[in-house]
Amino acid sequence: MASSSSWEEGDAAAAAAAATDVELLKRAWRNEKAAPEILRFEAALVARAREQIQLLEETVEEFMENGVDDLVVSLYQMDLDRTLFLLRSYLRIRLQKIEKYMIHISKSNLWNRLSEQEQRFAKRCTEIMEKHLEQSVLSKLPYGYQSMLKQSISSEEDDMVPEPQLDTFVFCKTKGAVGAFQLDDIGDEIVDLVADDLYVLRYKSIKGLVESGQIDLV
Amino acid sequence: MYGRRASQLLKELGSCEAGQLTPFDSDSFDQVTKECNKHNLQLQSLIRKIEDQNLDIQTTRNEDHFGAVIHHLSLTRNKRCLMAYMYNRAEVIQSFRWKVGPVLPQEIQEKLNYSEEEYFKSHSAAIESYMSELDLDLTVDMVPPKDPYIRVRVLDDIGEVCLGDHSISLTKHSLHFLRRTDAEQFISQGLMEEFLE
Repeated sequence: MASSSSWEEGDAAAAAAAATDVELLKRAWRNEKAAPEILRFEAALVARAREQIQLLEETVEEFMENGVDDLVVSLYQMDLDRTLFLLRSYLRIRLQKIEKYMIHISKSNLWNRLSEQEQRFAKRCTEIMEKHLEQSVLSKLPYGYQSMLKQSISSEEDDMVPEPQLDTFVFCKTKGAVGAFQLDDIGDEIVDLVADDLYVLRYKSIKGLVESGQIDLV
Repeated sequence: MYGRRASQLLKELGSCEAGQLTPFDSDSFDQVTKECNKHNLQLQSLIRKIEDQNLDIQTTRNEDHFGAVIHHLSLTRNKRCLMAYMYNRAEVIQSFRWKVGPVLPQEIQEKLNYSEEEYFKSHSAAIESYMSELDLDLTVDMVPPKDPYIRVRVLDDIGEVCLGDHSISLTKHSLHFLRRTDAEQFISQGLMEEFLE
């Protein structure tokens, strides 16, 4: 009896751990999908998810070899497929954000949010885009107007870099109670964020809460 | 009117369905770049005129100054339009790598100019090298999976293919029950379709 209960406990704990990683990945994926700008790369989580995927793949293979019931195999396979989709989609959304805002990302502190591989990808993409615009447009323009980043030599700042719209509204869900939260700089708009409630707010104002994990985007 | 051609170029882009491309309009494109250079010549000659009169270029506010400003602004506007045209097309082109695959069909390729073709190839090579660094193919699984297996109909003679640990022969019009991940690559190439009863 005692041994069986401890086995059950161990199993439950393992299941809970597995569930949380997939849950975490789902959360990271949802946040990334809804946020207009790129978020911090979840390196540890992705590494764990990949390990679990490999384990699942091995299990499925083993089951197939041992002739375990087809239904069980396909349930495992489905679980595996879903996790794989989450992982791929997560990485894909990030790549697409990099494709869109590569110059902005590489010129701001967002750069540190990318994984090593993503940084290499962003660098390469920027070079390719630069070359493309250079040979098709910029080289044909008069001197003083040939910069990719500035409209002309008289612009003081880079005024031709596409940036994400941080003003956009997002749906978000609080995890715990945050309390009275200031939405703007002046303090005119204050909202009381209670636990487990849905809000539609400007991304810009809750950016900090998303980054610290106090609020989830949906 | 200054800048009209350039705005037409963008209207062309805007009237096109999202995610689609119109043929590269090299005619208008070249005319706009020519317009840019004409603006520049006039701009330079106005500046020279101001300088010849021994006036300070920073503070002079005569008709030549305002003429020069108009040419400068028209030039930057044209530049923005040209860049927007090229950039937005490039965005559509890079989305083809995800939607169509590494090889573009003839009808799309005809719409690209030389630099755009090159751009597509280098960009898709960048995606590939990212995927091989990660050892994970990101171009499959574009929609959330439902059933791990799907019924497919083969649309073209593909021949003997090795899937997992066994090989099957995919002949035209045959029906198969395959793993979704295996079938997806063929579906995106247009060699198979999902068979729905």
